[in-house]
Amino acid sequence: MTILEMNHVSKAFGGAKALSDIHFTVEEGEIHALLGENGAGKSTLMNILTGVLPADQGTIRFLGKDYPSPTITQMEEAGIAFVHQELNVINDLSVSDNIFLCREIRNRLGLINQKEQLRRTKQLFEDLGVEMDPSAMVSELKTSEKQLLEICRALYADAKLLILDEPTTSLSNSEIDHLFGILRKLRDQGKSFIFISHKMPEIFAISDRYTVLRNGEFVTSGNIKDITPHAVTSHMVGAQYVDAEVYQPRKLGEPIMVLDHYSGEGFSDISLEVQRGEIVAFTGLAGCGASELMQTMFGALPATGGRFSVNGKALQGSIVHFMKNSVAMLPSNRKENSVVPDMSILENFYLAEHELSRGKRPFIRMKDELRRYESQKESLHIKAGDPSDSISSLSGGNQQKVFLARWLNIGADLLLFDNPTQGVDVGAKEEIYKLILQFASEGKTVIINTLEIPEIQKVADRCVVFYEGKIVKIFEHREVNEHDVMLYSTNAIETAGEEMRS
Amino acid sequence: MSGKENGFGKRLGRIWSQYSYIFVLLIIMIGYAYTIHINGNDFKFSHIAAILGSQNTCIVGTIALGMAFVIITGQIDLSVGSSLVLCTGVSIVVFNMTDSIALMILAGLAAGALCGLINGLLVGLGKMPPFVVTLGTMLIYRSLTLSVVRKIDPVISGSSSSQFAMISKKEHYKFLRMVFGTGKLKFGSFSIPYIFFVFLLVAILLIIVSKKTKYGKSVYAVGSNEKSARLAGINVTWVKISVFVLTGVLVGIASLLQACKIGNVTPASSGQSYEMYAIASVVLAGVSMAGGKGNMLGVIFGALSYTTINFIIVSIPGLSVDIQDTFQGLVLIIVILIQTAGPAIRESLQRARKRRQSAA
Repeated sequence: MTILEMNHVSKAFGGAKALSDIHFTVEEGEIHALLGENGAGKSTLMNILTGVLPADQGTIRFLGKDYPSPTITQMEEAGIAFVHQELNVINDLSVSDNIFLCREIRNRLGLINQKEQLRRTKQLFEDLGVEMDPSAMVSELKTSEKQLLEICRALYADAKLLILDEPTTSLSNSEIDHLFGILRKLRDQGKSFIFISHKMPEIFAISDRYTVLRNGEFVTSGNIKDITPHAVTSHMVGAQYVDAEVYQPRKLGEPIMVLDHYSGEGFSDISLEVQRGEIVAFTGLAGCGASELMQTMFGALPATGGRFSVNGKALQGSIVHFMKNSVAMLPSNRKENSVVPDMSILENFYLAEHELSRGKRPFIRMKDELRRYESQKESLHIKAGDPSDSISSLSGGNQQKVFLARWLNIGADLLLFDNPTQGVDVGAKEEIYKLILQFASEGKTVIINTLEIPEIQKVADRCVVFYEGKIVKIFEHREVNEHDVMLYSTNAIETAGEEMRS
Repeated sequence: MSGKENGFGKRLGRIWSQYSYIFVLLIIMIGYAYTIHINGNDFKFSHIAAILGSQNTCIVGTIALGMAFVIITGQIDLSVGSSLVLCTGVSIVVFNMTDSIALMILAGLAAGALCGLINGLLVGLGKMPPFVVTLGTMLIYRSLTLSVVRKIDPVISGSSSSQFAMISKKEHYKFLRMVFGTGKLKFGSFSIPYIFFVFLLVAILLIIVSKKTKYGKSVYAVGSNEKSARLAGINVTWVKISVFVLTGVLVGIASLLQACKIGNVTPASSGQSYEMYAIASVVLAGVSMAGGKGNMLGVIFGALSYTTINFIIVSIPGLSVDIQDTFQGLVLIIVILIQTAGPAIRESLQRARKRRQSAA
């Protein structure tokens, strides 16, 4: 049975068409993947469905009822719930308080009936197969549990259709498996899901059907089992995209960076030597210490022992000191750690360089800044309007390129990229891989920390696998494959012993 | 037709939101001219000159310039009114003891910088919330000044037990008070008080700092996203301390204006609520209280608007001084309401129109 039908939906912002003539249907009891690059119109479509934005044209029919001009409350009451990428749970309340937020159970005095709330939460969790303490504080939960909590809250409100916007970005593989297990169970109970994600393996693991949007237009839809990841990618990016092998072996230079029994928050006793022009990938499960190591190698976290030296010089102290010795870090979570939201593209670009040059030249010379920006813009193929436009006017991929430019602008030789393709669409990802390879061939050294193994296969000369703050394995480029990396990341190799190794 | 209207409306909306402080001042000025008119007088340039030279413009305005920097970094400084009293006290005492203009200026600025540095270190290194720290120093700075004025020899304080006053027998008294403090620069039939030029000069300097220097940009970056700023190499702690010190120095400058224009300071009552007046000027200037946004040029207009509101209230006959703050508060709230609610109201009207169209 079709529970949701959206027909001929169009929407324009000012003069720009965001959606034109979209068709989108969801069946009862299915997980429906909504696919498309950033800017393809997925968010706009979902915002129209949930009443956040009004559509210019088109019809919405949900559970046999038409909604000509839906409001947020109407759609919530009808049974549509939006689980956002940024979680909307309240950290300072307990699990059950979050579930009953704004619909508290009261006793005769009008006070909250904690006992009853806890009992019902427990019942709900039992029905869903969720193992969580109803009285725990949300601040103590893991990210995956918060995600689950939000889904449970929607289900308690009797949602029939849940929209999951990139629910797995901050989850480790085992957490993803757990989440997917519960989603499958709920699907079998007749709940429907719209699943928005960029990760192909997940899409193929969990979805029943798919719909692809491109540039605000409907491209195709069908059953997941009838299509391949490669074909989906082609639909998403259009005809021009080919998944070509970009990796090329290069001649490496002298050792440039040495970690010697290096320790800090979340990792310990790391020893590693990296050569000039090399691309090394760090990987492991979320919380394996690779990201912390990277931040410590940039002075953003304190080291507690050992040595980190670049070009033979041991580095410690403030971030600026690391920058002066040509180390740069592109942090993970762009919106939180890179974007200065109230500033223009140009200002976001030049901030870091100013910290190195302001002692000698305290005044900003627009001409010089623009010249530097334009040259980076050209070599990184940044698609941007006026340099004085707001940074938020750019797509995720182009924002990320501005931040790459920020660090190239200080003339850094050792580039640390923490999850550089997070929230970046397929086309821009491919460009970023090409740029990383280009930097390396120009003699820069690149370390990327990533959870995506296909990414490692595309660019890395070596792959360092972390488990609980220690290096467990180093793979050469040709040895990298999803299966083996996963074995070491999850430490399955230790648990299974000799049997697995043979 | 409607498309054209939309385009114009949009452009006007953008200009309004970017330069709202100019419109605010214009509207308030017109209101002032009108009240003078119904009082039976002509609105003349001397009325404007009075606004320019008022202590609300020059003294509070100079402090507001620093306050704007502090607010742009996402912090607040409640101690400025009290440190103004302290700095004025110090500069008057130094003048009375030495009769030296240079030493007086130096003492005022140094006292201000020290007050600011204490705030900055407690906030920056002590990692305490600026609201609480400056609330504490607000009490401390005033009470210290108060306890000193009671004990100090009148030969040094220049007055009775409740005031610091510049001693009129000193050689440079006439220059500081009569020539500079209350004197005016004449342009033909116009004349503008000298102290306004001090305020203007400081304002222009700070506009340049905020727009044209690398330091200025780092101040905005810290207020806009502290984490990103830090990971771009900006020393966030240092920036936070520096804006307090800058504010302190500006309070020092304001204290010299206070000494020269008024000639004395009463620790128990002078500079009362100046922190609030400074914050009000900053808000009227369109600076975001959340940090990261705001134009220093606006602070000049913000300070002038605030003074003009005062003048309007004073010029309405039959209105007692006691009710003054009520009107100031109301105007402030109305202006902010227009600034923040304006775009939201416009948006919801547009939505309602769209909905009607799609329903029809």
